[in-house]
Amino acid sequence: MSSLQGYVDRRVLLILQDGRAIVGVMAGFDQKSNVVLSDSKERVYSMEDGVEEIPLGLYLVKGDMIILIGELDETLDQAVDLASIRAEPIPPIRY
Amino acid sequence: MLPLSLLNAAQNKPMLVELKNGETCNGHLINCDNFMNITLRDVYQTNSDGDRFWKLKECYIRGSTIKYLRIPDTLLDAVKEEQVRAREVGRSTRGTGPGNRGGRGAPMRGRGGRGGPMRGGRGRGRGVQ
Repeated sequence: MSSLQGYVDRRVLLILQDGRAIVGVMAGFDQKSNVVLSDSKERVYSMEDGVEEIPLGLYLVKGDMIILIGELDETLDQAVDLASIRAEPIPPIRY
Repeated sequence: MLPLSLLNAAQNKPMLVELKNGETCNGHLINCDNFMNITLRDVYQTNSDGDRFWKLKECYIRGSTIKYLRIPDTLLDAVKEEQVRAREVGRSTRGTGPGNRGGRGAPMRGRGGRGGPMRGGRGRGRGVQ
């Protein structure tokens, strides 16, 4: 069985159907892939400015909305200067 | 920690709920269920562009329309502590004294249940012969 258990208490990146990228520490999850993130921040990408990090705090994200969950390599992540990164934001999924 | 146990603990706490259509609702949680259907009181609702506002005394939100909930940070620690406490209480009441055999864990052998002859020599029978 595939499980999110290995991600618990790790810093993860969530990508949602609306194109949002959220990083946070996975505090818990359930059968439906609903996820609790603590100390979470949204990363807003743009071509004009660097990546903006918006603190969000404690978040409960519905599993329906989640496209991707990945573990962050924290040392690698901290070495990245987000302010210098220019990238297109991920467009939302359209049906 | 389960998302729903966190949500249950958030009763009477303020929260922000974003719906899948981008609308948001700010209010205090009255109640919730296992589908994540929730009721909020004293709600400020905004449209998806965030330029129009409505104030509602109370509202009900179907769980399936929710994108995410934003909950007070302090709640995580509160729930974690509560879980630790519950575990300790469970440990001190369980497994002591008579009439408390089994509890959680492996199923009991040889008594009740269907199938299979009784194992071992003891059990039924006539006592002394």
